[in-house]
Amino acid sequence: MTDLFNFPSIHNFPPFYTLQTQPTTRQTQIALWSEIILAYFMHHKLYRLELSESLNGELFDNKGIKRRLKLGTLQCIIDAMVKQGTAEWDLQSKKNVALIYWRKPEEWATIINNWVFNSGMTNSILTVYEIAHGDITEGLDFHGLDQTILLKSLDILVKRGLAQLFQGTSTEDMGVKFFGTNG
Amino acid sequence: MGNKTSKITSQDRAILDLKIQRDKLIQYQKKLQVISDKETEIAKQALRNGNKRGALLALKKKKYQEQLLKKTDSQLLNLEELTQSIEFALVEKDVLSGLELGNNILKEIHKEMTIEKVEKLMEDTADAIAYQNEIEELLSGKITREDEDEILEELRQIEEEQLEFPRIPTTPLNIADVEIQSTSQQKAKSETVQKETKKLEVTLI
Repeated sequence: MTDLFNFPSIHNFPPFYTLQTQPTTRQTQIALWSEIILAYFMHHKLYRLELSESLNGELFDNKGIKRRLKLGTLQCIIDAMVKQGTAEWDLQSKKNVALIYWRKPEEWATIINNWVFNSGMTNSILTVYEIAHGDITEGLDFHGLDQTILLKSLDILVKRGLAQLFQGTSTEDMGVKFFGTNG
Repeated sequence: MGNKTSKITSQDRAILDLKIQRDKLIQYQKKLQVISDKETEIAKQALRNGNKRGALLALKKKKYQEQLLKKTDSQLLNLEELTQSIEFALVEKDVLSGLELGNNILKEIHKEMTIEKVEKLMEDTADAIAYQNEIEELLSGKITREDEDEILEELRQIEEEQLEFPRIPTTPLNIADVEIQSTSQQKAKSETVQKETKKLEVTLI
């Protein structure tokens, strides 16, 4: 988290922080914002956007030009991203928390499945925890992946018949068994 | 993909339980590490404030956390070892059942080809071969007896013809005649050839 994200020059453009009224301008503005959000989240490997809290962060609060995004504007941007499939609202949060998909769950699913195949984990039992936080995935793209996104991706693999999620006998913690076949 | 629920066996569940235990231990270790790091900080802070007793207590706590960490390390190792031996035993079981299956199939195939059957088959084949040979003998025998002498005679004749030298002509040839004939004929021939080539040249140009 120490290395800095290079914001594009538009990030220093004051009108960029006010939602534009002209429809086409507004569309471009929203598209640019969603690009910045995706790039920023990818750079810092973040997955979860807490809207009201993030308004104080460097992403939406530009102290250099004293401009800050309003909550309503950000919600508008996220709404557009949801339509595009690059974000998803946390339904319980009432539009305050969103998952940011700089990689969609389908892509994560493929990446994880390929890793399982290439590392000979087929037919092994893995805990959901160790896929995202275990030593074996240290340094891999999906290390540290948000639990909700991870479960969504695993669900996709389950639907494709490539994996099965199941619980242990005594705990609520989930495990996965992968069945292999590449792709 | 058939029945999905059947793919998880009780062994799978047991392995998962062990791995979940391992995850919990790792998380517990992280917690211990954080606490013991904090105790060091506390001890330093206490020393700075001149509170020796507080610093000592913090260091004692830290020592205790470290001992716990060591204990959990060996527990972790035990867990890992157990899961790995279960996994390995499962692999061995798979290999064994694979071998068993192969053995059964081999047996079934052998059942289909008993020694008696093979012997009978070999006998039958030998009989058939003998029969075939008999037929061949009969057929080829007929040809040779009637025709072989004739064939051989014909062969001899052909050989003789080829061996004979060309005969020396009995009447002397008139060589001069032949030469003149041939030269005049050649002249005429070459003239016609020249004419034809000229014609061709003209048409081509």
